[in-house]
Amino acid sequence: MNILELSHVSKAFGSRQIIRDLSLSVPEHTIYGFIGQNGAGKTTTMKMILGLYTIDHGTITVNGEPVKYGGNATNRMIGYLPDVPEFYSYMTPSEYLFLCSEVTGMEKKVIRERSEELLCLVGLEKENKRIRGFSRGMKQRLGVAQALLNNPKLLLCDEPTSALDPLGRRDLLKLLQSVKERTTIIFSTHILSDVERISDEIGLIKDGTLALSGTTEELRALRKSDGFEIEFRNNTDAERFAGLCDNAKRPDCLVLFFENQGEREMKRAMEQLSQQGIVPRRIELREPTLESLFIETIEKKSGHTDGGEQG
Amino acid sequence: MRQLIAFTKKEYLELWRNGRLTLFGILFLLFGIMNPALAKLTPWLMEQMADTLSEQGMQITSVTVDAMSSWAQFYKNAPMELLIFVVLSSGILTGEYQKGTLIHMLTKGLGRHTVLWAKGLALLGTWTLGYWLCFGVTCAYTAYFWDQSVLTHIGLGAALVYLAGVVLISLILLFSVVLSTGTAVMGAVLGLAAVSYLLAVIPKAAEYLPTYLLSAGGLLSGAMEPSDFLPAVLVSLGITFTSVAAGTVLFRKKTI
Repeated sequence: MNILELSHVSKAFGSRQIIRDLSLSVPEHTIYGFIGQNGAGKTTTMKMILGLYTIDHGTITVNGEPVKYGGNATNRMIGYLPDVPEFYSYMTPSEYLFLCSEVTGMEKKVIRERSEELLCLVGLEKENKRIRGFSRGMKQRLGVAQALLNNPKLLLCDEPTSALDPLGRRDLLKLLQSVKERTTIIFSTHILSDVERISDEIGLIKDGTLALSGTTEELRALRKSDGFEIEFRNNTDAERFAGLCDNAKRPDCLVLFFENQGEREMKRAMEQLSQQGIVPRRIELREPTLESLFIETIEKKSGHTDGGEQG
Repeated sequence: MRQLIAFTKKEYLELWRNGRLTLFGILFLLFGIMNPALAKLTPWLMEQMADTLSEQGMQITSVTVDAMSSWAQFYKNAPMELLIFVVLSSGILTGEYQKGTLIHMLTKGLGRHTVLWAKGLALLGTWTLGYWLCFGVTCAYTAYFWDQSVLTHIGLGAALVYLAGVVLISLILLFSVVLSTGTAVMGAVLGLAAVSYLLAVIPKAAEYLPTYLLSAGGLLSGAMEPSDFLPAVLVSLGITFTSVAAGTVLFRKKTI
């Protein structure tokens, strides 16, 4: 069953069309990576799902219920984690989660237990100080706890890793992966390695429309330009070896790239290197990345102009 | 109802922890003490200034102060109390837009009307506590120093000024929905109060304006009757209910 469905959704701010006839569906218990450049319409889409923006055309349903602007019925099924979550700084994490629980209408007897469980999950169980003194990473973890508080059927994460350092990013991605069994996650970002690491399905938004969608593997398979790369220790070795191969590109004076060549060709090149007595600094099989596909798609559609800063 | 109680509690916790409740308490307590104190000190002050005034050709003979002097001071200070209250309270909702703290609450399913009403209850509670503290202190000291039995409608007069505060609270709520910064809200509320003062120069209009409530001191000396305030009370109640209702409807449509 699909937890979220967008059907022919459009949204404009004044004369600027941000979302154009966008349709997508997200099955339950998946991590859906929602990618696109800055200004492609990711945040606008999320805010429409949350009923914070009006929908000009089309419909959005969450678990079968239509989203209404300014309404709160569907939001009871949603957890939301923005890029930089802001809290009441004079509260402690426990007090904040208690307030959220009351607002959500959770039963009083389970509030304490649930808050403790979530603070433990995000590693804030020992933090009794007020949120005022929290680092960005700690705020993001508290953001995850509040978003999961009401056992949401759908967790919307809007660029949750963009403001974090590499360690913070790694921890947050692990955390999101760990809650996949409990909920469905929509994860918007422009950091493609993050999406590639945790997403089951990916949708690429460009100029307000879905330019690409499918499972991570399906999208990777669309990219055919596999190859391998050899980095030499000096220019002489690179020159010598380049003279033996007629199908190598040379993106750098020390690097040779063999486009559309797989493992078999790489083994053969290794044998040749051995015969010539050349020891390279590095030899690497290049997997097709989402980034290359992303750039290819964006470039293909570059006939359109970008939508500005509207996320 | 549970959401309203929870969010109102949060508002009071915020007022307490950011020190605003204490600040209001201290300010209103000071005003409460100042009213009878100024009345009590007036003869002494005039005596100190007598020489300077006589040089300017003014002769001070004798100054008599009584309970009415203390209450006159109470009514003179009321606009200042209202001004301070508006200045300190006008960012109560717009501060949440600016910080982005409301998003989590709304996306948790908190009704927008609940947010507005909880803010209103927090302001009303603060105004009620502060104002009646000021009234209580003034009343107690005045009764201690002078005979108040000659005065009439002390409670009713105070209630009319209290109502003026309630009108301002409803306007703070309405403008907080329409505008996006605390300064703009403050400007709009005070601007409207200024317009009300200006309109009061038209004799027939004066008694219908909420600012007329601030002249309730006239009830104590018997110069005015309670019925004189009926039009201003009705208009004030009308403005209050209309502002809250309009704010509630408009807040549902506001982009946050």
